Amino acid sequence: MTPRLTRRRFIKSVIFSGAALSSGAGFYLASAQTRPSGGVERLVSLSINGRTRRVDVMPQETLAHTLRYKLGLTGTKIGCNRGECGSCTVTINDVTHYACSTLTHSVKGKEVVTVEGLRAADGTLHAVQQAFIDELSPQCGFCTPGQIMSAVALLKTNPRPTRDEARQALSGNLCRCGAYDHYLNGVMRASGQLS
Amino acid sequence: MTYKLLGKNFTPPDIEGKVTGEARYAEDFRKEGMVFARLLTSPLPAGRIVSIDYSEALAMEGVVGILTTEDLPQPAAPANPSLASDEITYLGQPILAVAAVTEQIAENALEKIRIEFERRPFVVDPLDTLVEGGPNPYPKGNTLVRNGGAAAAGTTQSGTDVAEIKWSRDAVNAFRAGRDPGPNVPWGNEWEFGELEAEFAQCTAIVEEPFVTIGQSHHALEARTGMAYWENGRCFFYGSLQSHTIGIPALAGMLGIDPANLVFINENTGGGFGGKIFPYPIMAVTGHLARKVNRPVQLRITREEEFYIGHARAGMQGWLKMGIRADGKVGAIDMIVIGDAGSGGGASGPGAANFVSLMTQPNAMRFRGVSLYTNTTPRAAQRGPGENEMATALSPIYDKAIKMAGLDPVQVRIQNAPDSSGTIGPQRGTLTGSWFPQAIAQGAEMFNWEERKQLSGRRNGTKVTGVGVGMGYHSAGASGYDGLLRIGTDGKIYLHTGVGNLGTYSYAAVVRAAAEALKVEWEDCEIVRGDSSLHLPWSTFQAGSNTMFTEVRTNNAAAQDAIRKLKQIAATDFGGDAAEYDIDGQRVFKISDPAQGLTYAQAAQRAVELGGEYSGQTYPEDLNAITSRSVQGLAGTGLIGVAKDTRHSGTVPSMTVGFMQIELDTMTGKYDIIDYACVADCGTIIHPLGFSQSMHGGGVWGVGLAGYERLVYDPQNGLPANVGLYQAKIPTYLDVPKNTQHGATNIPDPQSPVGSRGVGEPSQGCACAALASAISDAMGGHQFNRAPITADMIVNHVAQLDHFNARNLQTNTF
Amino acid sequence: MPAFDNMPDMELYQPVQIDDALALAARLAERGWLVGGGQDTYGWIKDRNKRPEALIDLNGIESLRGVRETENGIEIGALTTLTEVATNPIITQRYALLSKAASVVASPQIRNAGTLAGNLAQDVRCWYYRRGLDCYRAGGNLCYADTPEAQNREHAIFNASRCVAVTPSDTAPALVALEAQMVITSTSGQRVVAAEDFFVGPDVNIESTTVLRDGEILTAVRIPAKWANAEFYYEKVADRNVWDFALVSIAGAMRIEGGNIVESSLVCGAVQCTPRRLTSVERAIQGRPRNEATATMVAGMASQGARPLNQNAFKMPLMDNLVTKLLTA
Repeated sequence: MTPRLTRRRFIKSVIFSGAALSSGAGFYLASAQTRPSGGVERLVSLSINGRTRRVDVMPQETLAHTLRYKLGLTGTKIGCNRGECGSCTVTINDVTHYACSTLTHSVKGKEVVTVEGLRAADGTLHAVQQAFIDELSPQCGFCTPGQIMSAVALLKTNPRPTRDEARQALSGNLCRCGAYDHYLNGVMRASGQLS
Repeated sequence: MTYKLLGKNFTPPDIEGKVTGEARYAEDFRKEGMVFARLLTSPLPAGRIVSIDYSEALAMEGVVGILTTEDLPQPAAPANPSLASDEITYLGQPILAVAAVTEQIAENALEKIRIEFERRPFVVDPLDTLVEGGPNPYPKGNTLVRNGGAAAAGTTQSGTDVAEIKWSRDAVNAFRAGRDPGPNVPWGNEWEFGELEAEFAQCTAIVEEPFVTIGQSHHALEARTGMAYWENGRCFFYGSLQSHTIGIPALAGMLGIDPANLVFINENTGGGFGGKIFPYPIMAVTGHLARKVNRPVQLRITREEEFYIGHARAGMQGWLKMGIRADGKVGAIDMIVIGDAGSGGGASGPGAANFVSLMTQPNAMRFRGVSLYTNTTPRAAQRGPGENEMATALSPIYDKAIKMAGLDPVQVRIQNAPDSSGTIGPQRGTLTGSWFPQAIAQGAEMFNWEERKQLSGRRNGTKVTGVGVGMGYHSAGASGYDGLLRIGTDGKIYLHTGVGNLGTYSYAAVVRAAAEALKVEWEDCEIVRGDSSLHLPWSTFQAGSNTMFTEVRTNNAAAQDAIRKLKQIAATDFGGDAAEYDIDGQRVFKISDPAQGLTYAQAAQRAVELGGEYSGQTYPEDLNAITSRSVQGLAGTGLIGVAKDTRHSGTVPSMTVGFMQIELDTMTGKYDIIDYACVADCGTIIHPLGFSQSMHGGGVWGVGLAGYERLVYDPQNGLPANVGLYQAKIPTYLDVPKNTQHGATNIPDPQSPVGSRGVGEPSQGCACAALASAISDAMGGHQFNRAPITADMIVNHVAQLDHFNARNLQTNTF
Repeated sequence: MPAFDNMPDMELYQPVQIDDALALAARLAERGWLVGGGQDTYGWIKDRNKRPEALIDLNGIESLRGVRETENGIEIGALTTLTEVATNPIITQRYALLSKAASVVASPQIRNAGTLAGNLAQDVRCWYYRRGLDCYRAGGNLCYADTPEAQNREHAIFNASRCVAVTPSDTAPALVALEAQMVITSTSGQRVVAAEDFFVGPDVNIESTTVLRDGEILTAVRIPAKWANAEFYYEKVADRNVWDFALVSIAGAMRIEGGNIVESSLVCGAVQCTPRRLTSVERAIQGRPRNEATATMVAGMASQGARPLNQNAFKMPLMDNLVTKLLTA
């Protein structure tokens, strides 16, 4: 379990005003509405794909929203916004989560990885990404980033999963095109079990 | 025939973006100054809007504009207005849109809008409006009629109107009880061929069964979000459409502009399944709102809204009487379909009847149908509309008749399946070619039917094995669209396509037919697509399993035009007749002296110099206006290959057979699909992995239709229960076949230049039919008469509580 | 009816000490909303069908996480994720009934975020209620699900009282079967409630499925040693095998000595608003072997007294069948 040494004991209200520091594409400017006092500080530092990003986050804002509309990371898809489809799956400290059902404020101090964060520094695709290309895993592609994140998280803890283990691990990701078998082929290839 | 490219796998150019997150869907585009719109949707299934007060909302800080029906052109019923005018005809119907600087503010504003409604009686079960005295879903009636007059403004079909059709209470009760409603009821559609009664008299096995299929929601994972902005009278529209250029005239029409002033960007589409074939009403809201507020507008559609406006499959309440002769020949079929067309849209009875006529080739057949509106979500095509739900309904009934005749389900299906002399529908239309009997035999061998059928009824603790077989079909091809390519002065081949990109990669597979004809390396080709400003041709809609047949024809036509021009240029430069020249190795050369010739790059340069048709300065007059404009845009940049495809004749039948083995727990109604094997007769397989994707994905969809997916409306208040994905029961990784095997006859279609036809739709039909057949088999041949067949129904049957399952053909039961 | 999708403005508190959380819970009372994994929170608020003024995010309170051995069994922190409950070695070895139950909740991602307390305290899934209708449970004065035309396949067959919603929790039947104790803390102290008494039906409180009051936090779940390493059976029957709620589930713990069941604790989920203890079956099978003959003897007993609605009569044979499977597995 990650120690939370940096967390302050019961943060006092600091109302962030003004939109100038809104980072990323800046399409969602801070709303001018007045806020009740006593809660979290809005300006936060997040670790996204190994980079620290300063961003103005509403208290009730979801991670999917922050990624897509404030940080320009549109690879994370919103398929249902209710934690039912898995298109928004990201890893937080290597564990898969639905970004649409995660408060951005709850990932402070944690490592968030999205599909955009998987390429190696030299641009090489992650083994899962390459295998998904080789197996023609995606169809429409909308659920693909989420499928990839679930597969990446699985291989981190279980580098040679059985097909059934892969099926279980990816089971929180719907694919309306029904590309399940091709995704599983991709996981088996990425883990070196299919040539 | 062996090909260099076709029949081999390749890496479609868009797939890398899909695995890196760089692929852009409509919701991923941003534009400086963009504002966000949200919809106000109707809380009532039927009624009238008396007044709307949005003054408080409009005055809110951050709200930039509101669009209502008064801002839009008005179509006549039953066409679906983009925003409801007076009449509300389904719950969830959009009424107005609010644009604000954030979505949250737009939603806050929605809470401040006051609407006064007047309620009207509503109906969610077609038989409740069909019965005399029953409420009508529209003020004017419950069905579409063709009145032969002028097209109602805004309607897609000419000469249509809403009228009323009613049956006596006795007739409806008889039908609900699973009987022919008798001779004295009106039909919306009926046809017959052969001597029905005489043929039934020849049959030794006759079964008569009712059936209900509910209309699943499409629920594509990408909802139909759009973004639009305007510049100098031109609209730039980022939309989610499974087709591309074919949608441009209709979308321009919605926006009230000339198609030349519309730039339609549609790089990726997150699923369509028939629900996004053509521009849909809400696109008009995005475009008009952007113009009204004079800012870029993103109208994000939520999952719940996608349910409301994203269409659904039409439902069926039907009756089928089937007669089989002693020798296994299907003698006669009599069928009725009451179709649920929702609030606008079309029912699928005729498609269902055509399916039955093709799959069983009866000597005589009669179809009678009524298409009825209800106050439920609008219906649209969904993967094999009519055919796949009918495949599900037919399979257990067919099995029952075959069992009664003492014959083998697979042998009888082979015996009656169409070969190339088969016919379809009331006109007994011809086929381009069919090798479906071989496909069934191939599937039976792959599945090892002879051995597996012995497993039927085998007990293992509380579990019992069922085996089933099913058939799927869809008409998989059209013709007459345009092909366009350009050989650049850099020697590269630019393959332009205006088909969409709903995820099958067929857009890429079909342009390879042009590359193949031009004998070029795939690495030297670039596909040009996704943005209408890139000069795209008029292409087919990407639906109806069409692309693989229709668009290899256009691409081949463009390639042949380019080859002709290459040879003519070479003949101009090196003398002689064009016929003395050939192509290979990306050169055009004299056959008698290959040293005399030009590289494609040189030929393209010569085309630019020569001008005229060679470089697109002139072009055929029969091209669609969209293609013509694209050629104008490309003129002078290389050698242009462009042509309108000729016409084919006959139905292009894409057919599949599926076999399933399930192990069903009689205590819980749950089952595992142990094995699924499917074989397609869909011509030459030009992209094996893409074919595999279609067959496997169709298998998942088949399980959804026959076993899981719901569409339930509450009869008390017209409220849908399945607006979310978990409620709609979209199949997951753990609900689908554990092992799927697929195969193909791989026999070329005679009217496709490379033999291919599509299979996206029949790939579902064979799976849902096989599952319905297998469940029935596991239950000793019991007829559930319903799709989906769910765990509770199985538990009820085992507990001899079947009266809870039958429910008098009600559509709305969980 | 707009399809809302964005949470309105609200305040967020992220205490890292339980005392601060309790103080906040006391101060905010019904205006606050406790968030563990949040998996049954954000949907309500995005739909704008529930409107708390503030969220109290408990995730920073480390003392609420983890599995500890105690003198008489184990104690599981309320914030322990369902993934950990499903995989923790102590639980999988001694209380496999609970780990099995936790492993079939929703989906992997929800189990990664969702907490044991959240799974127990989650609200009912009645679709009418979830759509924001003004039913009894929402403070209104009618029930849309208990009518002749209602779509009520998933609703209750026992103990309806105005409301016919059922318990949606997969872990609740397991914890009732294991005779767990719920540790409830507030600024005024701690109280410990038996799992069976923790859940309440609409006859007791129509707006809440638990005894938790405003200002209280479920801080831990204690499982006594009594049922450690007993014979267990758990089965959840749902439409889908992922992300779905039980049509009926069963959780059973049996102590077998000399070939006979000497004591058992059998509980069904999704048949009424609370986990339903099958006391008549427990009595009938006492002293008998766990076999087909015993199953035949008690056939139909579990569903006795059920009052099905128009679409859920199947739950009666399904309950009985699950008892049969439990006894013959």
